[in-house]
Amino acid sequence: MMRTLLLLLPALVLSAQTAPVHKAAAVSPAPSTNFKVSGSPSATVELDAYTDYECPHCARFFAEFMPQFTADYIKTGKVKFVHRDFPITQIHPHAQLAARYANAAGELGFYDIVVNQIFKMQDAWAIAPYGKNTGDIDGAVAQVLPPGAMQKVRELVKTDPRLDESVKTDMAMANNVDHINSTPTIVVISNGKREPISTIMNMPYSVFKQYLDQKLAGK
Amino acid sequence: MSRLINQGNLHRWLIAGRLILAAIFVVAAYAKLKAPWIEFAGSLGAYELLPDWALEPLAKTLPWAELALGVALISGIWQRWFALIASLLLTLFFAVMLRSYIVGLKIDCGCFGPGDALGPKTLARDFSMLALAVIVTIGSFRRQNKMQPVVA
Repeated sequence: MMRTLLLLLPALVLSAQTAPVHKAAAVSPAPSTNFKVSGSPSATVELDAYTDYECPHCARFFAEFMPQFTADYIKTGKVKFVHRDFPITQIHPHAQLAARYANAAGELGFYDIVVNQIFKMQDAWAIAPYGKNTGDIDGAVAQVLPPGAMQKVRELVKTDPRLDESVKTDMAMANNVDHINSTPTIVVISNGKREPISTIMNMPYSVFKQYLDQKLAGK
Repeated sequence: MSRLINQGNLHRWLIAGRLILAAIFVVAAYAKLKAPWIEFAGSLGAYELLPDWALEPLAKTLPWAELALGVALISGIWQRWFALIASLLLTLFFAVMLRSYIVGLKIDCGCFGPGDALGPKTLARDFSMLALAVIVTIGSFRRQNKMQPVVA
């Protein structure tokens, strides 16, 4: 009996390792709003990034990881990138509003610039101790948009229910498909397999690059 | 008679301790192996102790080493030596965790996969595991010594 168990143990672990972390086929991914998608739509590898605008590690993710990643993989068309909202409103009271501003700007074609600005100015509006807790996301966004576009963004933020729908869609993906519980978490999707990685900010970019290049090579 | 009962009890406690220790290593290995290696590489990187080049090879091999140690402990072969290896490994893990906690790193322990923040609870848990490993190791060596035939 003991010998049988011993023989079975490595087999069980092997099967766990070879089994996909989350099969994409089990639950079809929800469509993301187009402005949240960049890179090549036909790329064999997709990277989804779940972030919360009020999370300091997410601000670091956009300041430190994204510029290099964009240059190496998005602009070269090697990877499809999807930015998904995961506002943890229990501890980040302004995160949902920040997502509304970003998504409203996205509707008008200013998504990337506003996302970067909201993260960049986090210390001005986010909850303490990361920021001054003013909640003045409007002031931060207004610095990078032309006045006409800013006015339209304000109207959309006040009235457009689709902005929350976009967030809800991403949250449903996070909770039901990718099982996310912290931000930033990225999900690397290749060969129908979804691999969530929550420790992305703890590793040097070069190590992540090795991993992603292995995925692109089909390993 | 009393001595025999004590010896029997010691033997049973040693088996129980060894199996618990084995289960800990198997569960820890399983939690790491079911996730992509890059996730554990991130956990290792968070401790800020290893050079970049070491993260990938260690993330790929350490979980298998833990599994092998768990299986070896279940089998009972060379019990005292494998218990000693477990003790040394857990001492190393605990020292690294304690150092990270003292210097104020806000990181995941990485012991049983992601989402396990390093703090007093994880330190207490890992210290208990280390204490168990040390007890099993000492018990195994003592038992072995008592079983050695006395040559006159």
